[in-house]
Amino acid sequence: METLNALLSGFAVALTLQNLLLGFVGVTLGTAVGVLPGVGPALTVALLLPATASFDPTGALIMFAGIYYGAMFGGSTTSILLNTPGESATIVTAMEGNMMAKRGRAGPALATSAIGSFVAGTIGTVLLTFVSPFAVDVALKFGPAEYFSVMVLAFVTVSAVLGSSPARGLAALFLGLTIGLIGLDSQTGQARFTLGVPELLDGLDIVVVAVGLFAVGETLYVATYLNRGVDTIEQMKGSIWMSKEDWKRSWKPWLRGTAFGFPFGCIPAGGAEIPTFLSYATEKKLSRHSAEFGKGAIEGVAGPEAANNASASGTLMPLLTLGLPTTATAAIILAAFQQYGLQPGPLLFDTQPELIWGLIASMYIGNVILLALNLPLVGVWIKLLSIPRPLLYAGILIFATMGAYGIRNSWFDLALLYGIGLLGFVMRRYDIPVAPVLVGLILGPLSEQQFRRALAISQGDLSIFVTQPISATVLVITALVVIVPQAWRLVRRMQANAIGHHSPI
Amino acid sequence: MQSKRIDAGELLISLALLALGSFVVFETQGIAETQGYSQVGPRLFPYLIGTGLTLCGTWLAWQALSGGWRAMPDEAETHAAPDRMGFLLISAGVVLHMVLIGWAGFILASTLLFVLVARGFGSTKPVRDVAIAAVLSTIVYFLFTQALGLSLPAGLFGG
Repeated sequence: METLNALLSGFAVALTLQNLLLGFVGVTLGTAVGVLPGVGPALTVALLLPATASFDPTGALIMFAGIYYGAMFGGSTTSILLNTPGESATIVTAMEGNMMAKRGRAGPALATSAIGSFVAGTIGTVLLTFVSPFAVDVALKFGPAEYFSVMVLAFVTVSAVLGSSPARGLAALFLGLTIGLIGLDSQTGQARFTLGVPELLDGLDIVVVAVGLFAVGETLYVATYLNRGVDTIEQMKGSIWMSKEDWKRSWKPWLRGTAFGFPFGCIPAGGAEIPTFLSYATEKKLSRHSAEFGKGAIEGVAGPEAANNASASGTLMPLLTLGLPTTATAAIILAAFQQYGLQPGPLLFDTQPELIWGLIASMYIGNVILLALNLPLVGVWIKLLSIPRPLLYAGILIFATMGAYGIRNSWFDLALLYGIGLLGFVMRRYDIPVAPVLVGLILGPLSEQQFRRALAISQGDLSIFVTQPISATVLVITALVVIVPQAWRLVRRMQANAIGHHSPI
Repeated sequence: MQSKRIDAGELLISLALLALGSFVVFETQGIAETQGYSQVGPRLFPYLIGTGLTLCGTWLAWQALSGGWRAMPDEAETHAAPDRMGFLLISAGVVLHMVLIGWAGFILASTLLFVLVARGFGSTKPVRDVAIAAVLSTIVYFLFTQALGLSLPAGLFGG
């Protein structure tokens, strides 16, 4: 009941003309930029951050949420028609959806992904609405020790457990943590790792780092290595609408995808890769048309797209209730909050209810706008895909440099942008993941703060992290997350050895 | 498993990480230690992070020497013939933008950046590029300065 009242007052905030307009602009901009090939949600959000600078925090964050959802929608259009996933979570959509497009079924593929995203986004937002009050209650019991332990869990899952190589993931995390050290120490105020450069006293801005890694690094990489082939855009043939059969084959995958996506988004497990793959595997197993998988099965688009969007709403739960970003995009959204001097967390639900609930209410509205904007207007967005590559990347770099320079009008930030761009180029070339850098950069200083606060409370006694029940539980989970997959692999290898040396792996 | 030549790039990056980690640990000694109630001061985290980075560098260096980094995607063909000119043109674009933006202003600097990046991607229509660049930079400039309140330098055009 209390939640419903809060949500209703949220709608009162979100439905004011100004905020409605900002939400609409955000969704449109997000879709437009998200459609551009190679531009995923994280980069979209980082590139458009300057555009929100002149509004009040509530309006800016509403616009921002719209950009986030819009970027996710736009990304699936690109994946399906161009087979260019903007981020790892849309790889499956790209695979299966592009196959559908190749077989002349681009319309139903786009429709099932749009409607599936709407269904998942709406259910995800409903869950966010009704679960966050409980999450806030739990979060209010969190002291510094608990916060630190949860951050350790996030570090471990984002870097070591996900991705192809724990060594490279951890290296990326520590690189991000190192970048996070630059600047003033939050407790004593003394400068660390500024090398005497005054511009470094404030630390590196996460937007400069994100845009450098994603936009400049990616541009350099594509120009140097990938600029030979010509992208083929699949033509839209036939009706964009889904047949009765398509609906019948889609609705269950939407719901199952949502069921995978939301919980995975909530836990600090680094986003949407796992649930999209789980959803894909499940649909393949359950489908009566499993032979179609790999050649364009509609279930293989419907499920993973729903999982992807549901996990996006799930990601907002730890972000809003704990201030804990678990994906690169969430890290940039946290930076947007910090731009207004706001630190997301349980207290924000008390001190800024109109902001938080206005934001949540605007997500319901944003989902509806997205559906209205994407189904009939998909032809307009597709035009964006035919921008020639030279003009596309040239345009991206104009926005990138503007964003970096606009923060404090200093050429130094442009130098940083290029330096970090070179780093991003090398990382892309050698398959080092980028997301752990951003998570390390933004969570590093926060975790240090919580660690030192925890020790200040315990007067330097390290056992505080294991004697507090919640903190201890989280640390045990962290250990299990590391150990279980390793142990599993070991058992499998021993079994394989026992059976004989012919088995693979 | 076939034996693989040691990849110079992989080894170099590993060693760079190792060096950076060691540098962090070394520099940390210069931070004044004030402990207060918590018994840990501003040195502990830099020590931990520097050590972690050093260990990661060592781990990756070991991998590079013993059969290459693990689970690398096979992109030999993609990486076979890098387009160095493209890389240089784009780099020049970003660096010149940094140098020019102060006195030439956002519109001119961005126009040059746009044209250089487009050229780096192999565009052969300089006139079209200049025209689009000028229009786009002008729109972006006025949109962000007038409508959204960001301050960008006007340079030669403004006073």
